[in-house]
Amino acid sequence: MELEGKIAAITGGTRGIGRAIAEAFVAEGAKVVVNGRSPDKGAAAVSEMDAGDAVHFIAGDVTDQSFCEGLVDQTVEHFGRIDIMVNNAGGGGDTAAVVDMEDESWNRVMDWNLNHPFWCTRRALKHMIPQQSGRIINISSMYGKLALPSNAHYVTTKHGLNGLTKAVALEVGDLGITCNALCPGGIMTDVMNEQGPQAAAAMGMEFQDLLDHMAQPSAIKRLNDVEDVALVAVLIASDAGAGITGSMISIDGGVSPY
Amino acid sequence: MGKLEGKVAVITASTRSIGREIAETYVREGANVVISSRTQEKGDAALAEMDGGDQVHFIPCDAGYQDQVEALIDGTVDHFGRVDIAVLNAGGISEPATVADMTDEAWQYALNLNLNHTFWGMRRALKYMLPQKHGRIIAMSSVEGKLSKPTISHYSSNKHAINGLVKVAAHENGTEGVTVNAILPGVVLTDMFYEAGPQAVESMGLDGLDGLAALYAGGSAIKRPNTVEEVAAVALMLARDEAKNITGCLFPCDGGTSPY
Repeated sequence: MELEGKIAAITGGTRGIGRAIAEAFVAEGAKVVVNGRSPDKGAAAVSEMDAGDAVHFIAGDVTDQSFCEGLVDQTVEHFGRIDIMVNNAGGGGDTAAVVDMEDESWNRVMDWNLNHPFWCTRRALKHMIPQQSGRIINISSMYGKLALPSNAHYVTTKHGLNGLTKAVALEVGDLGITCNALCPGGIMTDVMNEQGPQAAAAMGMEFQDLLDHMAQPSAIKRLNDVEDVALVAVLIASDAGAGITGSMISIDGGVSPY
Repeated sequence: MGKLEGKVAVITASTRSIGREIAETYVREGANVVISSRTQEKGDAALAEMDGGDQVHFIPCDAGYQDQVEALIDGTVDHFGRVDIAVLNAGGISEPATVADMTDEAWQYALNLNLNHTFWGMRRALKYMLPQKHGRIIAMSSVEGKLSKPTISHYSSNKHAINGLVKVAAHENGTEGVTVNAILPGVVLTDMFYEAGPQAVESMGLDGLDGLAALYAGGSAIKRPNTVEEVAAVALMLARDEAKNITGCLFPCDGGTSPY
């Protein structure tokens, strides 16, 4: 049991990558707050996870700053502390080349992918610093290292998230707190299914072509799985992960060259 | 059930330090492990301390020599019937030197012990792993495979090169069930550190080995060296069946020292 007694909060934790992390954490003895926008998905997650009081769902939208801060506070209220903050929620927006990108689209993705991790991290650190221990895990993307046309908001915010990761890591490095970015390759999640077709169209492709575009540069010639990310997240969150911080770990089957 | 139940691993330079901790971790998780080192003495001591019965086997190997590295892999298969995990961990230098003053011998020694050993071990392991469509190759690189420091151009070049080798090999074998990854530790207080340290301390005018450790760890966010346990935890994760989609990864274990 790598995470016995640890308390984690996971944004976007009812499905996809966040859900896989929640399941993996609970299996290692942690208790988790999972967050999502949809009460239905939340109820389904709690029921499917069948983990009794080890899982608690809090509904809300992370593009709202006060919700993010409240999520952290509510986690502490409910479970008594917070040890691990997984800033996982995120996605793309209306796809457009920069020359055509609209303010609304840009700003929304900023809030979803970059500002939410900043708000949650800042609040979580207020609890982690006095306890001199903690883990901040940012779910970034291989597009935090590479670029995808017509998705500059996504690419920029994931690059920015990597920068935030490094800065936080330096600031709290000797306080027993680590901050890392996990950079997955393409994975079939709700967000991928919801946004993929439009992203593909903006690149003049069919959805399957986009998936191939993501898988082909990899060594494994297939997309990644949510479990791949969860496997690394458990290592990072564990006591043995104390020596890993400020890192941008590629979980993309070898797509990224660094 | 251990996480590596039924697996066979071979680890170069594994009677002490990082390699030893990886061996201990793998044994604890149910693997059969071949450990190796240049001297039978160290091998005997490690076997006695590990007390792993039939799970651990020692094969002497000077990783700077091609025939010995290849014999080590072959010997693993002879003894345990297969090889699933190859940790190419041996490495080091004979002496620090600036490029301007580097001798051919010092350069070649480092090349053989670091890059070439990794290549020889990897190539031989693939011979067994490809037909069985399963394998885990883990190369021990270093934070020095991304950064630079004076007087270790041989070490740094080799570790940069190992990163390149890992990336290519990962792509060549990505659809064959074999993953190839590197671990990039920051400074770890190992035999290599204690043996090469005093000379580095002298040539850099530092305040003892503590000064050397502080210099290397000072570039980290955690302000301390990494530990053998931290490196072994990464080596465990990469070796598992569950890590089948993690390949071509330069996995950091450096307390935030490297900025990329």
